[in-house]
Amino acid sequence: MSHGAATLGAACSVSSNTFNLHDLEYQRIQTVLTRMQKELRAQLVLLINRSGQPIVISGPAENIDCTALASLAAANLAATDGLANIVGEREFSVLVHQGRQRSLFISDLLKRFSLVLVFDASASSGLVRYKCKRTILLLEEIIQEFQRKIEKEEPVTGIPQFTDEELEELLR
Amino acid sequence: MTFINYVAREINCKIVYYGPGLGGKTTNLQYVYQITNAENKGKLISLATETERTLFFDFLPIDFGQIRGFRTRFHLYTVPGQVFYDSSRKLILKGADGIVFVADSQEERLDANLESISNLAQNLQEQGFDIAKIPYVLQLNKRDLPSALPVEELTRHLLIKGEPVFEAVAPKGDGVLPTLKAVARQVLIELRKSA
Repeated sequence: MSHGAATLGAACSVSSNTFNLHDLEYQRIQTVLTRMQKELRAQLVLLINRSGQPIVISGPAENIDCTALASLAAANLAATDGLANIVGEREFSVLVHQGRQRSLFISDLLKRFSLVLVFDASASSGLVRYKCKRTILLLEEIIQEFQRKIEKEEPVTGIPQFTDEELEELLR
Repeated sequence: MTFINYVAREINCKIVYYGPGLGGKTTNLQYVYQITNAENKGKLISLATETERTLFFDFLPIDFGQIRGFRTRFHLYTVPGQVFYDSSRKLILKGADGIVFVADSQEERLDANLESISNLAQNLQEQGFDIAKIPYVLQLNKRDLPSALPVEELTRHLLIKGEPVFEAVAPKGDGVLPTLKAVARQVLIELRKSA
């Protein structure tokens, strides 16, 4: 897709408006998320993109619809950006929703991704913020490192080259 | 933004249903939800007002099946059609891979259709998208109503680039799936080209 200038890699290679998640980056991100999930005893940690698609998930998500959660979290953050602009702020980069049993933490990550955390409402919010901030720095490092790598090397696209017949079969 | 996950072997794309208020965007998604097998769909989420008007968006994830070993998942969104929700429409357009414009065929809604197309083009442009290049399908909804304008007249006003046009009666499902498949086809062809 040619619309939109995609300059950022991510745990991904970038081809205009697509990004592709490969095994190495997936594993590194998964390790970081799992560590945070265990340290905070969080129910669920997700890295999502700002279009609302879950990218990497850590945690037992049986009771939570991660697809819906990612979509709503991205919309929530986008709406909050709109609110920030209206009141003259550049951004509100962190959102916390406090519940009775579970709480939700959503933070921006490089303007293209978000970190979403579902955690026990009794957990210390200060500790959650601290660990999330640390995790975001680690994720940014991984993403930026990958960005540098793909700038030096041939980008890996690997987009499946399906035939017209295969496409029609899919849409039948 | 199309997201290809090589670990899970998934292709994820975003399609946005755009158009004037009460044109049938939500009804399109409701019909797709009704007729899709449980294993191929997620929850239909509607963020609506107390009078069932879309406040922010509707969202429905649909699994189309596999192509070359990749699951193809489409995230369908609607925008709120009412004029004063323009900020919300801009947010929802972010990262869209394809657009379905759901036009209301009734004569008295022609101006609303034109205004909404103009608003779409402007909102896309603000985000660096070009309406002439993005996958795009025109659906002429409410074909069963007595005041529906002839297709030729509607297309003369609403067609912007020779896009596929589908007649629809969304509550009955007429034209709903052909519309969705047409935009999905365009999105996947664009994806293949970008390799």
